[in-house]
Amino acid sequence: MTTTAATTADLTTQGQALTVTGLTVQYGGVRAVDGIDFTVEAGQAVGVIGSNGAGKTSTLKALMGLIPRKLTSLQLGDKDLSRVKARDMVRHGIGYVPEGRHVFAGLPVEKNLLLGAYAKPWNAHTRTAVDEVYELFPVLGEMRHRLAGALSGGQQQMLAIGRALMAQPSVLLLDEPSMGLSPKLVGEIARVLQRLSAQGLTMLLVEQNAKLTFDVTSTCLVMENGKVAMTGTSTELSHDSRVRQIYLGL
Amino acid sequence: MQIFFQTLIGGVSLGAVYALVALGFSLVYRTMGLVNFSHGNVVMIGAYMASTFYLTAKLPFALATVIAMAVTGLIGVIIERVLRPLENKDFDLMLIGTIGFGIVLEALATLVWGATGRAVPSPVPAAPLDLFGIKVRTYDLVVLAIAAAATALLMLFLQRTKRGAAMQAVAMDHEAATAVGIHVGRSNAIAFVLGAALAALAGSLVGPLLYVSPTMGGTLGIKGFAGAILGGFGSIPGAIAGGIAIGVLDSFAAGHFQGYSELVTFLVFTILIVIRPTGIFGERTVNRA
Repeated sequence: MTTTAATTADLTTQGQALTVTGLTVQYGGVRAVDGIDFTVEAGQAVGVIGSNGAGKTSTLKALMGLIPRKLTSLQLGDKDLSRVKARDMVRHGIGYVPEGRHVFAGLPVEKNLLLGAYAKPWNAHTRTAVDEVYELFPVLGEMRHRLAGALSGGQQQMLAIGRALMAQPSVLLLDEPSMGLSPKLVGEIARVLQRLSAQGLTMLLVEQNAKLTFDVTSTCLVMENGKVAMTGTSTELSHDSRVRQIYLGL
Repeated sequence: MQIFFQTLIGGVSLGAVYALVALGFSLVYRTMGLVNFSHGNVVMIGAYMASTFYLTAKLPFALATVIAMAVTGLIGVIIERVLRPLENKDFDLMLIGTIGFGIVLEALATLVWGATGRAVPSPVPAAPLDLFGIKVRTYDLVVLAIAAAATALLMLFLQRTKRGAAMQAVAMDHEAATAVGIHVGRSNAIAFVLGAALAALAGSLVGPLLYVSPTMGGTLGIKGFAGAILGGFGSIPGAIAGGIAIGVLDSFAAGHFQGYSELVTFLVFTILIVIRPTGIFGERTVNRA
């Protein structure tokens, strides 16, 4: 945690490169993720797009260690995270925004955020971080005493992102933040992610919404059948005729 | 009127004990989604521990109770530890495991303390207290006060402490709790320990009200379980309300129907549950993957 004055930059710590090689996830006889490699450079926002069942969510869950996986290496900066348990990933700087938001529905908004900083001592810095999340998502500040389960889908998504930011992650993993949201809210989430990225937050964004992904990230992977089918800059891919046809519906 | 109030206060006091049992059921269910069927037997072990420290070791009742809570809490740790490997593999087996533990505890109690049971004298003077013209058993008030204090402490722990917040988070979402760095297994263990300690408190308090025997776990377990369901399974305020409701129901049924009292209690309970299947505070269903 930095000790500088309260600025939004506090939520985004100096990033570190995340390098993954040989990541494989097997469900029974099906290989959901088939030995993929990728790197997210420090300060970079990388997108993963692909259709349903391409292995995007499995990739993130496997990175977190939430599902059984095999991998050759998993490195954050020069730290080896391949043996770190799921519950300790946050202590090594991996923030995770699960698919479907997964807020703590029966707890108030503010307690959800505080729990985001569970791995750190709760002190004045935690308070500052909560205020920064409210600055990023003013609606959460207005609803701080409301139960998270009573929020709308978009607000819950903001809360899930805010909760992950509370731990001041070196890398933020986001799983389908646009899922089930109206176009207006998707735009709002995109603006926040762009802002965080501009502040230097390293992130890996998994999305079905290719347009959102291209707007937010600089580099993208396209996943098909558990493999990386294409990689390129987001600008390149958004002009690629095949990508445009399959993922942007153009 | 006099009889009515005496029955009511006796019922609330017995209900406070059921509420403590119900709290243990609900706490473990909230955190793990598991109905701990050995819970009634843990109450029985707690009752034996407390009465042994009180009667045999001649410790003061309060101290005997606290030691019994600690030792019984340890049994909670053991139960959770043994069942933990099953949690993500076979949940049904885990449920059956708790039934098995219950049988083991009952057998152990019979081996250690014998099958006959024992009566525990009241730690406070038996003479009734005169409260605004109503004669009240002093011990009933003691039970009420202690149960209320224990409940308040539990609520404070869950709502005001970081660990308590983490336990609630685990109850709501395992995956998200893991992602923020909460050790789900440890959280479950704490739920078991707290549940077992509450069970021991209930067992200790119920000693002077009922008779301590190896089979008392069945009755108390069922009453506490019914209380938890009536309040809305998994709900903390529900466990308190439900437990007290069952106690009052029990008390009036015993006064009016003597031998048929259990039948009447559970008949009313069944009708209430048919009318409101989610229980008093049970609007929210606990999600389990």
